Amino acid sequence: MIYSPFPMRVVSKRAEAPGVNTLKLEFVKEEDHEFFKQNYKTGMFGLYGIFGEGESTFCVASPETRKDYIECTFRQSGRVTSTLANVDAGDIVTFRGPYGNRFPIEQFEGKNLLFIAGGIALPPTRSVIWSCLDQREKYKDVTIVYGARTVADLVYKDELDEWKKRDDVRLVLTVDPGGETPDWQDHVGFVPTVLEQAAPSPENTIAVLCGPPIMIKFTLVALQKLGFTAENVYTTLENRMKCGVGKCGRCNVGSVYICKEGPVFTAAEVQAMPQADL
Amino acid sequence: MTRILLRNKLDDCIAAWQKAGFSVFAPVRQHEMSSFGEVQKASDMAFDLVLPERTIKDHFFPQTEPLIKYKIGKQQIDSETMTPPDRKRVFFGVRPCDASGLAIDDPLFGWDYKDDYWFRRRDNSVIVTIVCTEADDFCMCTSVKLSPESDKGADVMLRPLANGAGWQVEAVSERGTALLETIPSLLQENSEPTAPVPQVAEKFDLEKVMEWLASKENFESQFWKDISLRCVGCGSCTFLCPTCHCFDIQDEGDTYAGIRRKNWDSCSFSLFTMHTSGHNPRNTQSTRWRQRIMHKFNYYRGKFGVNSCSGCGRCTRQCPVDMGITETLQAISNLPR
Repeated sequence: MIYSPFPMRVVSKRAEAPGVNTLKLEFVKEEDHEFFKQNYKTGMFGLYGIFGEGESTFCVASPETRKDYIECTFRQSGRVTSTLANVDAGDIVTFRGPYGNRFPIEQFEGKNLLFIAGGIALPPTRSVIWSCLDQREKYKDVTIVYGARTVADLVYKDELDEWKKRDDVRLVLTVDPGGETPDWQDHVGFVPTVLEQAAPSPENTIAVLCGPPIMIKFTLVALQKLGFTAENVYTTLENRMKCGVGKCGRCNVGSVYICKEGPVFTAAEVQAMPQADL
Repeated sequence: MTRILLRNKLDDCIAAWQKAGFSVFAPVRQHEMSSFGEVQKASDMAFDLVLPERTIKDHFFPQTEPLIKYKIGKQQIDSETMTPPDRKRVFFGVRPCDASGLAIDDPLFGWDYKDDYWFRRRDNSVIVTIVCTEADDFCMCTSVKLSPESDKGADVMLRPLANGAGWQVEAVSERGTALLETIPSLLQENSEPTAPVPQVAEKFDLEKVMEWLASKENFESQFWKDISLRCVGCGSCTFLCPTCHCFDIQDEGDTYAGIRRKNWDSCSFSLFTMHTSGHNPRNTQSTRWRQRIMHKFNYYRGKFGVNSCSGCGRCTRQCPVDMGITETLQAISNLPR
């Protein structure tokens, strides 16, 4: 039945940053897992829940190349996320999805990839990153630009180290001015500025950009300066959702339902939306 | 010659339908308010209403709908999916605007992911409409290109006889034909004239309205602020609307057990779109009113080819501050261009 979630067992919980956790979840029922395996593509989202509290919408942070489990990363902020942050391995939570559209990564094949993420927006980006890195031979140069307010706010620190060590990935890390620690050796500065300095070539390149609205706004300007066209920049939008399947009536921006037509859009598509409704 | 159903056969008609396994619903007066309720006999029905205050929507998309029952134990959580009662229903005396409302919402509940709660009820229900003989100042079906004798969403259509003794009966769907087969002896051949259909004046130029709404520069027009200043955001217009379908999903219960419910929600409320972060894409009453009008007369049409309004006029009739869709669309229609 529609609106009935899958029960999921918590495999592990990892603290990422202050108030930010990653849950690794496995399917309790094989048929649910089969459904997920057949339908999940990178970029899609789900409603994560816990009975008695409700459901919250966030992306599937694990890649489409690893479908034995679901990972989700979220900031503890409301009633549902606060409860989810307090689960232990073995506990049962729920998942409804995967819903929405996806990043068309097969169209990215043979191209350079530029990933840009800010703060807690690395999880959706990371799903695409691993989906591509797990079939690395299909893509050309891979550049990842990631920034957070402070060093403590960077998420997936182990994976950042891993990417840094790889010679087939260029990782550009930054924290906002004032957010650095004495031993911080990477960049200090806002993502748009650091991106401009790193100056990745727009030639045959697809950019995937995720972050808070203010970062997106200025990063788009920087990308334009570097020569990227809005058709070659992909992003993912979020809005409050209840159903996830185009019926509850709240997540639309203008006529576009984020849950059905999104959450993945090109910057050109986002620019065509009524900006006052974002 | 056409078939008629006499008013004095209505009790037998209800009994025949009940015998055939149907529960019969009709406009009733309950708790100082008119709505659709289950009836046992003709005298339970409120026939003198232009339109009941509450819509038939209540019986297809109820104010609160249990989805999942859950129990939280020490070792495990048990949950059970709930389904709406599986009973056959006849809705008698539905106005054409209310019946149209159901047909308008069908594609929304059906696109891609099918809402079983809506369709189980739709599939088990037969809609018997009565063509209007009276309209009030708020009726606006003709303005949205429907009419007091529209058969949209109807299975059986009744036209009141001029002498008031009953109705001319016509099946307009297979389901309607099947329903009439349960009452053959109660229908009779007759050529009695039917009562005239009321003239409902067009209150605005819908084409002009849709054209103005489709124009991008009007999205941020001062018009929206001016027209919505009176709105108190009570949500009445959305709850009384036969096509408004927005909902919330909430868990209601205590620490150990409860029910996940699909509850009516309203685009008039600020919390409707509020992010956890505090960001709210529609953070003023004017942006919310714009959403309501745009959704009904632009977005919905773009997706499903039909406006999300059946012209019942309840939004204006029952608005506590005398606003409503009619006034807004009239104002748009009259804007200089």
